[in-house]
Amino acid sequence: MRPGFSPRGDRGGRGGGRGGFRGGFGDRGGRGGRGGGFRSPDGGGFRGRGGGRGTPRGRGGRGGRGGGRGGLGGGKRVLIEPHRHEGVFICRGKEDALVTKNMVMGESVYGEKRMSVEEGEAKIEYRAWNPFRSKLAAAILGGIDKIHIKPGAKVMYLGAASGTTVSHVSDIVGPEGLVYAVEFSHRSGRDLLNVAKKRTNIIPIIEDARHPHKYRMLVGMVDVIFADVAQPDQTRIVALNAHNFLKNGGHFVISIKANCIDSTAAPEAVFASEVKKMSAENMKPQEQLTLEPYERDHAVVVGIYRPPPKQKK
Amino acid sequence: MAEPNSVPSDLYKCVYSFLLENKFTKAAQQFLKQTKVIPQDQNEESLVNIYNFWVKSPEARKRKAAPASVNGPSAKKARPSAESSSSEDSSDSEEEKKAPVKAALKAAPAAAAGSSTRKKDSSSSSEESDSEDEQPAKAPAAKVVTAAKAVASAQKKQESSSEDSSSDSEDEPPAKAPAKAAPVNKAAAPVNKAAAPVNKVAAPVNKAAAPAESSSEDSSSEDETPPSKKPKPGPYSAVPPPASIQKAPAAAAASKAKASESSESSDDSSDEEEKKKAAVKPAPVKKTTTKPAATKPAAKKQESSSESSDSSSDEEEAKKPAAKAAPAKAAPAKAAPAKAAPAKAAPAKAAPAKAAPAKAAPAKAAPAKAAPAKAAPAKAEDSEEDSSSDEEEEEVKKPAAKTPPAKPAAATKAAASITPAKKDSSSSSEDSSSEEEQKAVKKPAAKAPSAKTAAAKKDETSSSESSSEDEAPAKPPTKAVTPKAQPAASKSPAKAAETSSDSEDSSDEEDEPPKSKPAAKAAAAAPKPAAPKLAAPAAKPAAAADSSSDSSSEDDEPAKTKQTAPKVATPASKASTPAAKPAAAAESSSDSDSSDEEEEPVKAKPASKPGTPAAKAATPASKSAAKIASKTAAGTSKPSTPAGKPAAESSSDSDSSSEDEEPAKAKLTATKAPTSASKPAAKTAAESSSDSDSSSEDEKPTKAKITATKTSAPASKSAAKTAAKTAAGTSKPATPAGKPAAESSSDSDSSSEDEEPAKAKLTATKAPTPASKSAAKTAAGTSKPATPAGKPAAESSSDSDSSSEDEEPAKAKLTATKAPTPASKSAAKTAAGTSKPATPAGKPAAESSSDSDSSSEDEEPAKAKPTATKTSSPASKPTAKTVAGASKPATPAGKPAASSESSSDSSSEDEEAAKPKAAVTKAATPASKAAASKPATPATPAAKTGKTKSSSESDSSDSEEEASPAKPAATNGKAATPKAAATVAKATGKPAESSSSDSSSEEEAACKTSQVKAAAAAKSKTMAAAKAEESSSSSDSSSEDEAPRKAATAPPTPTANNTNGKRKRDEESSESEEEEEAAVKTPKNKKVTTTPQTFPKANKKSTNVPFRRIVEERVEVDPRLADNSFEAKHGANGDWGQRANEALKFTKGKSFRHEKTKKKRGSYRGGAISTSVNSIKFDSD
Repeated sequence: MRPGFSPRGDRGGRGGGRGGFRGGFGDRGGRGGRGGGFRSPDGGGFRGRGGGRGTPRGRGGRGGRGGGRGGLGGGKRVLIEPHRHEGVFICRGKEDALVTKNMVMGESVYGEKRMSVEEGEAKIEYRAWNPFRSKLAAAILGGIDKIHIKPGAKVMYLGAASGTTVSHVSDIVGPEGLVYAVEFSHRSGRDLLNVAKKRTNIIPIIEDARHPHKYRMLVGMVDVIFADVAQPDQTRIVALNAHNFLKNGGHFVISIKANCIDSTAAPEAVFASEVKKMSAENMKPQEQLTLEPYERDHAVVVGIYRPPPKQKK
Repeated sequence: MAEPNSVPSDLYKCVYSFLLENKFTKAAQQFLKQTKVIPQDQNEESLVNIYNFWVKSPEARKRKAAPASVNGPSAKKARPSAESSSSEDSSDSEEEKKAPVKAALKAAPAAAAGSSTRKKDSSSSSEESDSEDEQPAKAPAAKVVTAAKAVASAQKKQESSSEDSSSDSEDEPPAKAPAKAAPVNKAAAPVNKAAAPVNKVAAPVNKAAAPAESSSEDSSSEDETPPSKKPKPGPYSAVPPPASIQKAPAAAAASKAKASESSESSDDSSDEEEKKKAAVKPAPVKKTTTKPAATKPAAKKQESSSESSDSSSDEEEAKKPAAKAAPAKAAPAKAAPAKAAPAKAAPAKAAPAKAAPAKAAPAKAAPAKAAPAKAAPAKAEDSEEDSSSDEEEEEVKKPAAKTPPAKPAAATKAAASITPAKKDSSSSSEDSSSEEEQKAVKKPAAKAPSAKTAAAKKDETSSSESSSEDEAPAKPPTKAVTPKAQPAASKSPAKAAETSSDSEDSSDEEDEPPKSKPAAKAAAAAPKPAAPKLAAPAAKPAAAADSSSDSSSEDDEPAKTKQTAPKVATPASKASTPAAKPAAAAESSSDSDSSDEEEEPVKAKPASKPGTPAAKAATPASKSAAKIASKTAAGTSKPSTPAGKPAAESSSDSDSSSEDEEPAKAKLTATKAPTSASKPAAKTAAESSSDSDSSSEDEKPTKAKITATKTSAPASKSAAKTAAKTAAGTSKPATPAGKPAAESSSDSDSSSEDEEPAKAKLTATKAPTPASKSAAKTAAGTSKPATPAGKPAAESSSDSDSSSEDEEPAKAKLTATKAPTPASKSAAKTAAGTSKPATPAGKPAAESSSDSDSSSEDEEPAKAKPTATKTSSPASKPTAKTVAGASKPATPAGKPAASSESSSDSSSEDEEAAKPKAAVTKAATPASKAAASKPATPATPAAKTGKTKSSSESDSSDSEEEASPAKPAATNGKAATPKAAATVAKATGKPAESSSSDSSSEEEAACKTSQVKAAAAAKSKTMAAAKAEESSSSSDSSSEDEAPRKAATAPPTPTANNTNGKRKRDEESSESEEEEEAAVKTPKNKKVTTTPQTFPKANKKSTNVPFRRIVEERVEVDPRLADNSFEAKHGANGDWGQRANEALKFTKGKSFRHEKTKKKRGSYRGGAISTSVNSIKFDSD
């Protein structure tokens, strides 16, 4: 684990900075004690111990139920199969779980379960990805069509918070990809920094996403912008960053919390309204998905920025 | 002097007698003073003659001849003793009082009268003295003048006229207000008229006789009056019965009968006086009185005069259309019939009346005849109450007096002297009786007179008494007026010959016509013809009598003021009329008529009406106008009434009267003058005005103010009205009936004038007011007329005006204010008033108004209120203003009270005190109540006359007072008269009717309420709306009936009715006003508030809209995205999150958070994970 990613709950801190909205991000930081959330039922499948990150460990490593190390004593029979989204895997066992390949072996970011699978001689560790704690995971579980986040992609992550989801994104993009994690809260920013310390593909930016010019020097063009900035003007914020850093034809994934925009209006209306705004910013929405039941009154909108004349599919 | 006096004396006498009877001693005195001579003659004639004529001219004559003679003496004697209760006492007191001041004069006159007539003279003198005492200033002056004879007579006449006028005015107001009371008053009026004729005759005689005679006449009239008064009371209470009864009482009875007659005469005299006083006023007064008388006769029928008046009014209206003479006659006939029937046998009366008329004609030839005729008829038919009283009086006095007077009248001036003698005697007797009665009544308390009047009064009272009372209180004016009216009535009969008397008579006659009418018309026809002719001729034939009287009066006036003389003559009105009219001749007869005519007809111009007219004239005028107009119409009026002329004339008359008054005083005059001016324009107007003025002036001079006021008031009213009318002049013409309107206006004007006179300024104020009023009124009047039918409207307006005027007079300002108010009110009210009138149904309305007035009067009778009420009621507007009915009365009362009201009240009280006597005399009680009610009016009038503005009020008060005692009659008479006068025509019609009704009621109360009422009602109503009036009359009668027992009940009822009516009107007016105000206010308020509020609110509201970033309404939601729930998602079933959804779906808030936290821990087991695509695509691809 990188020093930068010292596990500490950033929730509080971050939340404070920006108002409640960011509070949610805090959860990501909670890796520590939790230990393997994904402890596979199988004997010793996942072991929470050893700072077990949820990263799914390839089974191979243990072979069968290898030894009693890990809680799941009798070896874990976990089948890891890739998800249709690159970089995402599904751990199929007694209980399916969404997992990503842990970029940093042996480290759990927020206390998630890790599963290590041994393939051959290499051990691959997977970390469980809890949809209740990550909107991106929720969107994936929900059945979103495209996340546009794939290995090697450059992603701008607005509202990185403690870096829990960022860590998973980091796992997804892999060593070739980059994640520009923008967080305005210093408190959350600390956790984020700790996470970034251990993951080299994460560039933490503690700035206000509303002012892209402040971190323009740090950010190059990106392929995807993921926004989870529960702010009333989030569309504008996304647009600003998109205008500055998103390549033409790049995609954006926006998580919309209806209550943050207008708590009095119907969520559907709010979503529609936001979609309409996007359209006004050269951000063509392509799909929308509700985050129910993982999040309440949330929706994810995926779209393309300045779609090339027909270039796009 | 005698002649002039005689002329006036006739009317005056009647008036005085009436007044006295009515207990309008003060008024009577004033009248006497002013019209001194006249009152007596008038009294006799007016009361006795008129009544007799009205009742049954033939019979009346006979009766008169016999009874009169018998009664006369007896009456006189009785008076001193029996009647005296009021009359005598009053007379005594008066005499005593006067003695000092005028004593000589009066004494002389009295002596003369007494000698000539009987005790009446003495009594009359005493009465006069009383009245004088009351009005000492005036009376004295008048008396002194009388002493001076020419002047004195003139003055007296004037005074008397003034008194009459005042009384008339008062009467009018009362009459109107009294309208209800009116019946009684009317009844009285008839009597009065009968007396009036006598008085007139006397007056003429007096006039002719000259001051001395006049004085003597006055005295005689006074003497007569006393008897008459009692008689009147009797008549009023139970016209026939009382009369008989009263007569029975022997001297007392006779005296009473006479008194009644005398009262009537007094009334007449009063009317005359009033008339005399202010040509206008007088006219109004007379008119009023006449009307009242007529009304009374009508109402009373017994009193035929009142009824006649009423009928006359009605008839007038009816008649008007018809040839004047014819109408007049017809009217008279009708009235007579009605009255006669009602009274005793309405038919009988009618017949008698007619017969009387026939006789009257003869009578006219010689007023005396008329009187006798009346007396005869009265006796024969009516019974006697009227007839009896009338007869007695007439007989006693009239026979002598009337015939003589009439003849003298016929003789005209020359005759005048003669007439004076006769008339004087008769008139004097009448006057004296009336005066005595009045005085007695008055003296008892100014009111006492009223009380007396009440007794005798009822009839007279109402008219004469009220007038007398008014006069007394206010002074003679009222009484005078009444007397005049009566005189007029009587005169009419007698006067028939005499224009003035005729005029009055005509008016009265018209009124009387019912009774007197016969005389008037029949006779009257003759008379009118004669009278008118005479008048026209210039006193010529009629003139002769009337003219003589008138002429005499005129002469007197000329001697002094013209008008005064004229009025006095009329009295005044007659005289004046005659004088002026003679031209009007017919009209002249119309003097009274003229007054009426003036107002209404044009003839009236003669001022005769103006003078009397003013009051009577007004009433009469109005009536006459209506009726007279008819009558006069018959005579003059007819012509005029017909219209514009009358109106103009009447107005002119009134104006003239007013002018005269003003001149006399200036203000009044001024006021009047203005009015008069307008009127003068009229012609006679001038003369009449002059007459009226003179009368008014005389009155004023003496005290005149009241008279003046009255006169002025009348004048003013008339003026105002006229003005209004004129203004309206049109209005009248326009209206309707122009006549009614005119009349009413005239009446009102007269009243106003009177009031004004009362206070010089008042007049001015009034004048203005009147003007305003008139304007308003006119407007109103017009409007009214228009609405109602012109007449009712006119009447109502007139009533209101008069009332207003009265009130105003009561207080100059009040008046003014009132006037204004009235005006304004009238305006509004007019609206209201009009509306009322209109509502009622023109006539009904008018009647109602009149009723209201009468009611108010009745109420007033109560006293202060009564006055107030009356005034108010009369003023209707005032009331309206002040309050509605009650309020009105109250207010009025308040006002009056303030100024004259108090006096009126006191007077009323006095009257009440007197009432006892009166009661004795008449059943004063009945009467009293009736009287009371009426008295109130009278009282007020008296009070007013007294001066305060209250002329009207005082009148009313006086009338009331009288009413209470004899007054009921008087009051009624007055009220009736006044009203009648006011209403006079029809407009007045109603008032007149009401008055008539009042009189009738009184009469009835006295004897036959029902009949009288019926008659009265019939008459009045017939005339006016016939029905409305009737109703009023009926109410009155009912009230009267009740009253008889005690006026209380009756009065109350009547009052109630009246009040109601008034109140209604008032209320209406008030309401209307209020409404208007409210409307005005509300709208504004509303508007204002609304707008402001709205805007702010709107803004605020708009602002308050909760902030929303997203307006759902504006957002188009893709149907696919319409539901954000898990279930709505594709592949929800069997999804990994399904369990979670089930767990979290129903949780919220903290629990949700808690549940979610548990899920975050990784303990969640969701099963298999599907990789299907469940998102919703946005097209594009």
